[in-house]
Amino acid sequence: MFSTAIQDLSASLNAWRLWSLLGWLEIRQRYARSRLGPFWLTISMGVIIGSIGVVYGTLFNQNIADYLPMMGIGLVFWVLLTSIINESCVAYINSAGYIRQTSTPKLLFMLQVGWRNFMIFVHNFVIVILLLIIFGTPNWSIFPIFFPGLVLFILNALWIGQVLGIISARFRDLPQITAAVLQMAFYVTPILFPPSMLNEHRWIVEYNPFAYLLELVRGPLTGHAPSVLTWGVTGAMAILGWLLALALTERYLKRIPYWV
Amino acid sequence: MSVITLQNVSVDLPVFEMAERSLKKKIAGLGRSNRIARDNEGVVVVRALDDLSFSLQEGDRVGLIGQNGAGKSTLLRVIAGIYPPTSGQIYTRGRIVPLLDISLGMDELSTGRQNIRLRGLLLGMSNAEIQRKMEDIAAFTELGDHLDLPLRTYSSGMRLRLAFAVSTSVDADILLLDEVIGVGDASFLKKAEERMLNLQSRAKIVVLASHSEEVIRQMCNKALWMNRGRIQAFGAVDFVTAQYSAERYVSTTPPP
Repeated sequence: MFSTAIQDLSASLNAWRLWSLLGWLEIRQRYARSRLGPFWLTISMGVIIGSIGVVYGTLFNQNIADYLPMMGIGLVFWVLLTSIINESCVAYINSAGYIRQTSTPKLLFMLQVGWRNFMIFVHNFVIVILLLIIFGTPNWSIFPIFFPGLVLFILNALWIGQVLGIISARFRDLPQITAAVLQMAFYVTPILFPPSMLNEHRWIVEYNPFAYLLELVRGPLTGHAPSVLTWGVTGAMAILGWLLALALTERYLKRIPYWV
Repeated sequence: MSVITLQNVSVDLPVFEMAERSLKKKIAGLGRSNRIARDNEGVVVVRALDDLSFSLQEGDRVGLIGQNGAGKSTLLRVIAGIYPPTSGQIYTRGRIVPLLDISLGMDELSTGRQNIRLRGLLLGMSNAEIQRKMEDIAAFTELGDHLDLPLRTYSSGMRLRLAFAVSTSVDADILLLDEVIGVGDASFLKKAEERMLNLQSRAKIVVLASHSEEVIRQMCNKALWMNRGRIQAFGAVDFVTAQYSAERYVSTTPPP
């Protein structure tokens, strides 16, 4: 089952030197000769979090010591998730030059997107650390849960990316649609507001897969372990999602060079 | 044993930009054998390769000849595994290296040495292999200290040297070339030619697409003449190229 897709995936993983190098070169191109490089992103993200924190914290009557870490950490992970998904849509399209001139495995272009955004995330993680230092350290006993949570979070981002990336290569409207949907999702996912504020409209969070993904990584950092339900939902999403991604890859991998 | 075998290989290239063809063209095209058609999704497709069958053995040096758009580059891409055939079977054994665009993936901000590594990885070399060949490649480019400067400071000639040096250091069982790689500089030309011949002699099968019959007669022992996606002739190089030039002579000479 899925022999072509799995073969491509393992060949892509094996070529880690190539995708990590290509991903890194892109970051460097973007920040060529600037002294702070990708830390400019960190700074601008820090400023955004600071200003949202003051305005919305006041609007929502929130205790700043609870609100700022909740919103700041949420935003850092939201940016990681959405930038992987958005950039995955154009992963194959933008790599057309490579795809049509060499016979490298294809999934490596997806891994390249994942790697590049993970590197940017590592820079943004400075903000998370600062927030934790200023507003009290996390509950150390549950902190280690963060790491399997992060792995599951990224696995989910990557399957969504692979599915959208393949379909986008053929149907070029999808990247725009994806961006619009993610923009909308931002407002219904508990990033700017704590889920408890929704009162009778809690279903907005309960039926929102992004809310579970966020809880998976934000929970352990803000001192409460993700529930069994959170693990169950995100785990099932990863398994079913990857099956879907592999099935699509199996079916359409060979068409990618013709589409890009 | 390296081999390439194609059985009834056809390739349809979809053209998504052409959503609808005008009625006038449709009528004009009626009854004419045409390489432009529609697939079952309604997308316009161009049949780039049409029912190709042939087999290449070790020792074969094959020159692809034919006019522009005859399908030479598409055939190279099919052999390289870039375009999986729309129908038919292709069977290959051995490490295939396509050198279709030797400057692919060069990074402006990386130094010469970093670019050697990048190109090497793109050509499918392992890290150890790149490290082993690094000094040989560096020496061949004659770029000296420039290798530690970023690529954006290079002249176009220097870039070409670097790309040429890395690409020709590859070890391939089956080597695919789209036009002979030229390196402008006259003093460098001799050295480059030797290296090119050396690369070809290491490979067990070479497939070379070129517009120059002279190059093909020099470098190949077989020739494959393609016309509108089909094989017009395949056989000994002198025989096929003679036929090809005869045909072209006839078609370009005005009737008396």
